[in-house]
Amino acid sequence: MSPMPQARGGKISPANNLYTAILAVALGVVIASAAFVAFKCYTQYATIFGTP
Amino acid sequence: MSTLTKVLIVLLTVFSIFLCGIVVTYVANAENYRATADSQRSQIQTMRNARDAAVASEEQAKQQAAQLKAELDQQINDLKVAMTEIQGRLDAVKRDNTLKEQQVANQTAAVKLANQAATEQTRLFENVQQEIESLRAEQTKRTKELNETTQTLLEKMAVIAQLEQKTRQLTEAKQEVETRLNQMLQQYGRVAARPQTVTPTRAAAQPAPQRAAKKIDLDGKVTGVDPKNRLAEISIGAAAGVRQDMKFHVTRGEQFVCDILIFEVYPDKAVGILDLIQIEPRVGDAVTTNL
Repeated sequence: MSPMPQARGGKISPANNLYTAILAVALGVVIASAAFVAFKCYTQYATIFGTP
Repeated sequence: MSTLTKVLIVLLTVFSIFLCGIVVTYVANAENYRATADSQRSQIQTMRNARDAAVASEEQAKQQAAQLKAELDQQINDLKVAMTEIQGRLDAVKRDNTLKEQQVANQTAAVKLANQAATEQTRLFENVQQEIESLRAEQTKRTKELNETTQTLLEKMAVIAQLEQKTRQLTEAKQEVETRLNQMLQQYGRVAARPQTVTPTRAAAQPAPQRAAKKIDLDGKVTGVDPKNRLAEISIGAAAGVRQDMKFHVTRGEQFVCDILIFEVYPDKAVGILDLIQIEPRVGDAVTTNL
């Protein structure tokens, strides 16, 4: 709960780009990990979600 | 943005990065079980194929072995039959061999008997030969005696003829003398007395007086000497009366040489062993049974 009042119905804009970058990095890492795992699964088992 | 949010964001990021790192590390190092399974599967298939091939070859080998066994059994049976046949032949040959051995034994016994008979016949022949030799010697002796007796008889007959002639002459002379005597005595009135015979009258038969045994009195000469074997041969034999085991004395002039003990007699000669050798005998020495 933030003590600063916020307008209801307005867009949410990032207050701090650092944390956005950090989240973006984390997101990128997660997505890269997921892509890597998917790639590995496909190359090894020829399937991503199903049982080989 | 509140502090808590910031902290959460940071923590989220850190943990995300950490977790993703772990996941990536794990996935990167994870073993490819599919490839392993595929290779195992292919190995299993290969081995199954090999096993099938081995089973098939085993079956084939079993069939070949069974076939070979059947052939060998057939050969064994054939060989057994052949062996039985050969055994039968062997038994037959053994029986023949036994019969032949019996025949050989019989023939050997027969040969032995024949040899004994031949030996006996040879001995009998030798005995007969000896008898013949002795008979020939006897015959020779008798012939010689006969000739001597015949000669003596002829001589005696000649003498008798002479004596008869002489007797006739004497008788005639006697008659003439008696006639003249009677004529002369008649002048004086006498007659001649009957002459007495000088021939003695025969007395009654009496047994001949016992005579002492006379000496053999055989004489001969030495015709051969073998000093090495101490044998000697003499010139008289069975025809002259020589017998086995007779003893002859050998002399040379007035000197005694040795004795000869006769052991083998022939019709016209005899052989003996030298004994009591004083001087070595030689051919020409005189032999006699009585010294």
